[in-house]
Amino acid sequence: MSTIHPISIRDVSKSFGKTHAVQNVSFDVPEGRIFGLLGPNGAGKTTTIRMINYIIQRDSGSIRIRGEEVGPESQRLIGYMPEERGLYKKMKIGEQLIYLARLKGMGKEEAKERIRYWLERFDASDWHQKTVGELSKGMSQKIQFISTILHDPDIFIFDEPFSGLDPINSELLKEIILEFRSRGKTILFSTHRMEQVEQMCDDICLFNRGRVVLTGNLREIKKRFGENTVLLEYDGDGSFVDALEGVRINNRSTNFAEIRLLEEQDPQELLRTAMAHARIHKFELVEPSLTEIFISTVGEDQVRKEELV
Amino acid sequence: MNWKQIRLVMGREYITRVKSKGFIAATLLVPLGIVAVYGIGIFIALWESDVSYEIAIHDRTEVMVDSLVALDPELYTDFSDTPVDSLRAFVQSGAINGFIVIEEENITENRPLEMIYDGSGGLTFLSSVRDDMRDLFREERLRRAEVSEEIQQIFTTRIGLDSRILTEEGEEKQDDTAFFSIIGLAMGGIIIFSIVGYGGYLTRGVIEEKTNRIIEVIASSVKPIELLIGKMLGVGSLAITQIGIWLLTLLVLMASAAPIAALVIGMMEDRTVTTEMAQQELPSFMMIPEIEASLVIYFVLFFVTGYFLYSSLFAAIGAAADSETDTQQLALPITAPIMISYFILLQAFQNPDGMLTVVSSMVPFFAPIIMITRLAIGEVPFWQIALTLSLMVLTFYGTMLLSAKIYKVGILSYGSSAKFKDIWRWLRQ
Repeated sequence: MSTIHPISIRDVSKSFGKTHAVQNVSFDVPEGRIFGLLGPNGAGKTTTIRMINYIIQRDSGSIRIRGEEVGPESQRLIGYMPEERGLYKKMKIGEQLIYLARLKGMGKEEAKERIRYWLERFDASDWHQKTVGELSKGMSQKIQFISTILHDPDIFIFDEPFSGLDPINSELLKEIILEFRSRGKTILFSTHRMEQVEQMCDDICLFNRGRVVLTGNLREIKKRFGENTVLLEYDGDGSFVDALEGVRINNRSTNFAEIRLLEEQDPQELLRTAMAHARIHKFELVEPSLTEIFISTVGEDQVRKEELV
Repeated sequence: MNWKQIRLVMGREYITRVKSKGFIAATLLVPLGIVAVYGIGIFIALWESDVSYEIAIHDRTEVMVDSLVALDPELYTDFSDTPVDSLRAFVQSGAINGFIVIEEENITENRPLEMIYDGSGGLTFLSSVRDDMRDLFREERLRRAEVSEEIQQIFTTRIGLDSRILTEEGEEKQDDTAFFSIIGLAMGGIIIFSIVGYGGYLTRGVIEEKTNRIIEVIASSVKPIELLIGKMLGVGSLAITQIGIWLLTLLVLMASAAPIAALVIGMMEDRTVTTEMAQQELPSFMMIPEIEASLVIYFVLFFVTGYFLYSSLFAAIGAAADSETDTQQLALPITAPIMISYFILLQAFQNPDGMLTVVSSMVPFFAPIIMITRLAIGEVPFWQIALTLSLMVLTFYGTMLLSAKIYKVGILSYGSSAKFKDIWRWLRQ
C-alpha cells in the first residue's frame, strides 16, 4: 500500500444470523476530502459505519484507520454522529458535553474551553445549565452536533446527517462540513439522497444489497458515464416521450423529461422526433445524475425507485 | 478493559443519580420515617406508664380484699361498704373503671368471678386482673384446706427455661436466638430489597439510554463491557451510599433514644432519670443490638456479591427490552429466584438448620439472602461459607459473560423488545 488512508476497508463482511448485511466490501477514503456513502435504505451503510466506529465487529476482512486496525484507540480519532441521535434528557448540557468529550479521551479543562467556543459559535452560550428537556428539537440537534466534533478529531463520520434536520441546521451543518474540509479534515457521510452527494462530495461509494457496486472520484465517475443524458423541456403533447425506444426516462413531468440514451442512440435523432411532436424550449446534453448512474450500475430491475427518494 | 473509561461511566451514573430529586427525597424520607417511629415509640412508652385503672372490690367474704389491695394498691380499692348500685353509678360516671363482687361461693365452689367495667384497659389489663384473682383465690383455697407452707410453695413455683449456647470452642454464651432471628430476617430482607430496587435502577438506566438514542454515541467511545461494569459500579456505590445513610441514622437514633427518653421523662416528671432507667421503658428493638463484627463483615460481603451476581442480569434485561413495560416478562427468570429466596427466608427464620435452608443457602442465586440469615441466627461451618462465596464468584463470572453478550447486542437493537428466542440467538452469536 503506497499511501496510508484515513479509512481503508478491505473485504469486509458482516452477517446477522442469516442476513448478509455487508459482503466483501472494500473502499478507501482519501485524506482531506468529503466521501459520500450512498445507496438505498438497508443497503448496509449503517452496518459499515458502525464497523468503522468499532461499535460492532466485522466477521471477516480488515478495517484500518490511519493504517491501524480499528479498536478502542481508533475510536478516539473519529467524531461520529449516528443516524439515531440522542442526549441524556435530565443531564445539564454542559455536564453531558464534558462527559462525552472525556469519554473520547479529552481533559476536563480542555473540554470546557472547547464547549465554550462551540456553544458561542452556535449562539448557545446560555444553554450550559439547561437540560435537553428544556430545548427545542433544533436546539438539541445543535448540541448533538457539538458533541460529535468536540474532541477535534481528524476524521468525521456522519450517518444520514441531514435526516430530520431543520433547514437552518442543514445549512449550518453543510457550512461546517465544508469548513472542516478546508482545514484538511476527512469527512465520510452516508445518505440515501443522491442530490446531497452531488452538491458536496469529492468521492463516492455506492452500496446496494450489502455490496459496493461503484466507488471512486465523483467527477471521474460522471465523466466515465459520458454526456449521454438529455434534458428536454417542451410545450404540447408529451406522449411521444413514452414511445421513444432505446432510452430510459428517469425524471418526467408534463413539460420536462430527463432521458438517458442507451446503446449508441443518436441525440440528434431524439431531437428530430421531439420537434415533430412538440415545441422544444430546451435541449441539453449533460452528464448523468447519480440516480441515473446508480440505476445503470445495478440494473433497472434491481432498484426500487421509491428507495432512492 | 480501560478502567479510566469505567471510572468515567461510574462517576456519571453515581453523580447524576445522587443529585436527582427522587434519590434525595427517598434518602431523606426513610430516616424521617425512622425518626417518626422512634418518636412515636418513645411517646407510647412514656404515655403508657401514665395510665392507671381503678377497680373497686366489694368483698362479702371479707377475707380477699386485704390481700388484693396489698398486691396492687393502685389498682384495687376496698369498696366493701358501698352498695353495688352505687358502684354501678361510679362506673357509669367514670369515677372508677370497674368493680368485682366477691362471694363465698367464689372460694368454695368453682363459680367464676364477674367484673363489671367500662371496657377500658384492653386485653393486657384483663389478663393481669385474671392472673391476680387466680393467684389469690388459689392461695385462699390452699389455706383453707390447711395445706402446709411447703406444698403452698410448690403451687406457686413457676419453672423457667433459660437457654445458653455451647460453642464448638467450649464457651458458653447467652442465647439470643429470638433476637438474632429478627436480625437475620432483617438482613435477608435488606438484601432482597436492594437487589430488586437497585437492579431496577439499572434496568431503567439502560432502557433510558436506548430510548434516548444516546447509546450509539456512547458505544462509539466505550466498549459495551466497560459501560456495563461502570453502570454496575455506579449504581452499587449509590446503593452503599443510600443504605449507609439509612443505617447510620438508625444507629444514631438507637444510641440517642434512651438519653432522649431520660431527658423527656425527667422534664415531665421533674426528677432525675438516668439513661439506664429510661432504657427499661423503651422497647428492645430501639436499642443498639450487640452484633458481632464478623456478622457485619459477612453482611457486607454477601450484600456486595449478591448485588453483583444479579445486577449484570438486570442491566441485560434493560438492553433486551425496548420499553419499561416490556421488562416484567423478561425479568421473570431473575425475579423468580428472588421470590423463591423470599419464601425460603421465611422458612429459614423458623428453622435455620433445616435441610432446605442449609442446601439453598449454598445455591448462588439464593445464597446472598439465605446464607446471611443462617449466619445471623446460628453457627455455620466455615467451609460452607467459603464454598458458597466461591460458587457465587464463579456464578458471577458466568452471569457477567452472559449479560455482556446480551448487553452488547441489545443496546443497539431498537424498535421492539427482544423475545427469549432472540436472546438465545444473541448468546450463540
